[in-house]
Amino acid sequence: MRTHLLGLAAFVAAGVAYPFLFPSVLTIAITILLFVGWATAWDVLGGWAGQVSLGHAAFVGLGAYFVAIGVTEYQLAPWWSALLGMAVAAALAFAWGWLTFGLRGPYFTLSTIAFAEILRLVAINEGWLTGGATGVFIATLPEPFGLDLFARQTQYWLALAFAVLVIGIVLALSRARFGYALRAVREDEDAAMAAGIDPKRTKLKAFMLSGALTALGGGLYGMVLSFLEPHVLFYLLLSVQIALTAIIGGRGTIWGPAAGALVLIGAGEVFRTTFAEANLLIYGVLILVIVLFAPRGLVGEATRRAIRRRYAKRAQS
Amino acid sequence: MLDLAIFIQNLANGLLIGGVYALIGVGLTLVFGVMRTINFAHGDFVVLGMYGAVLFDLVFGFDPYLSLLIALPVAFVVGMVVERAILAPIAEAPAESSLLATLGLSLIIGNVLLLTFGGEPRSVQVPYASDTVRIGEVNLSIVLLAAGAATTAMIGVLYWFLERTERGRAVRATAENRLGAELVGIDTRRVQSFVFGMGTALAVTAGVTLIPLLFATPTFTGAIFTLKAFVVTVLGGLGRVGAAIGGGLLLGVVEVLGASYFLSEYRDAYGLLAFLLVLLLRPEGLFGKTVKRV
Repeated sequence: MRTHLLGLAAFVAAGVAYPFLFPSVLTIAITILLFVGWATAWDVLGGWAGQVSLGHAAFVGLGAYFVAIGVTEYQLAPWWSALLGMAVAAALAFAWGWLTFGLRGPYFTLSTIAFAEILRLVAINEGWLTGGATGVFIATLPEPFGLDLFARQTQYWLALAFAVLVIGIVLALSRARFGYALRAVREDEDAAMAAGIDPKRTKLKAFMLSGALTALGGGLYGMVLSFLEPHVLFYLLLSVQIALTAIIGGRGTIWGPAAGALVLIGAGEVFRTTFAEANLLIYGVLILVIVLFAPRGLVGEATRRAIRRRYAKRAQS
Repeated sequence: MLDLAIFIQNLANGLLIGGVYALIGVGLTLVFGVMRTINFAHGDFVVLGMYGAVLFDLVFGFDPYLSLLIALPVAFVVGMVVERAILAPIAEAPAESSLLATLGLSLIIGNVLLLTFGGEPRSVQVPYASDTVRIGEVNLSIVLLAAGAATTAMIGVLYWFLERTERGRAVRATAENRLGAELVGIDTRRVQSFVFGMGTALAVTAGVTLIPLLFATPTFTGAIFTLKAFVVTVLGGLGRVGAAIGGGLLLGVVEVLGASYFLSEYRDAYGLLAFLLVLLLRPEGLFGKTVKRV
């Protein structure tokens, strides 16, 4: 636990120092931080509770659209509409989980794809609400305490706060009763039930938390983009990217998703300049390498090695 | 008021399109039945077939159907190699590993196609693209009829193979009970790579038959077909060939009828809604008998 708290402190320190060191490359840093938050939030459900979702773009889109429509149609401040978006995301996650957590194995994963896809079709076709396929444009944002929410500088601090908040929650979770319940359900539902844990309720709570946090990041993403298109926000590839970030970094570990975001979005950016729009190639290659040679993910594999070394040393002395 | 002729027209179109969906779904369900792998790259194999026909058209300029002569054996070998190199080593790992590996494969195929052919939609123009055959009041497009014929032929061959040959019996045995199959001396590892090769070949065939009808884009079309293949197989019940054919035909009809009698913009949503309803109410599939949750 102390190492993790030290890690969090180091993360915050690096995050605070970054804009002073590289004030001109903030957009990529914002993207990385958003993915740190999303992948960590995804991991609550996908890693800790073991339910692989390929529909988290639905929550990103929901959060973004709530902020955009709130500002443009109802003059609602983005922080209120983000909260509203989180509540709706949690409600949807509850309804969805309640319907599908009876399904085991690949069926849940398949159903999440259909879920996000249906939301995307609604966003495209219900133009009166969402601006349809052309999208919504956020033209004005309020200025709380004189802060310009369109400025990359402000958005960077918000993204950093978002990432730290999500990691902090997961850190607290890892030591809480609920965190243990999640892991128990992941390992063996029947055994968890025998220990007095309700698997469905536990998974539902994880799904709601995961969805609400993802929607919060989505609201922020909406302001960063300021132009929202359903093809981007509810897209299957965004769901896939979020899930793969967490998996490549290491599922069910505290720092895995963050490490995954750093490596993947960083590498993705290098690829974007060389391979133009084919930047997802790196995800494809990396996922194969990870699945074949490091099935626990980067951080998972590193921890295992470290633990092994420690035991080997102890055995020698 | 429902016009009967138009209704029959729609029904026929739905069945013909559904036949191609069935072909895609059969490949996916065969692979799932034998290997317990949900192949996320299945739609991308369909798109590979489409681009294969595009390339064939660019190089030779013959009818796209002729490209099957090259595409079928190549697809079969590629499928077997993919299984050997990527899926066989992780056969013992948890179920998600193979799902993730095929997801990675899907991204690689889509993005390599994007690098090779560029992002703009491609298609192959055939001279008979707008020709139709008139039966009574109903006009059937030649392209759709050809797709229907190719699908029927492929599925016929598949049935003959599964029911009448020794290798086909080995495939069915492996799908039914892997351990039992191994006990009677079937090399299930060989069956697996063989089946993955077959699944790939079926997907590529579907892609070739679709290219005169549809435009292919490197990354987007693959995801659409993977999704349709999921819908088809879950509608019917994962792991059963006959059920996938039923599911495919049903999806084709649901889409065409839904689009012409309700909101046409939601064409893709009807299939998804049907998929969700079946998933929630009858996870064993519409045509499944036993309740067996995987």
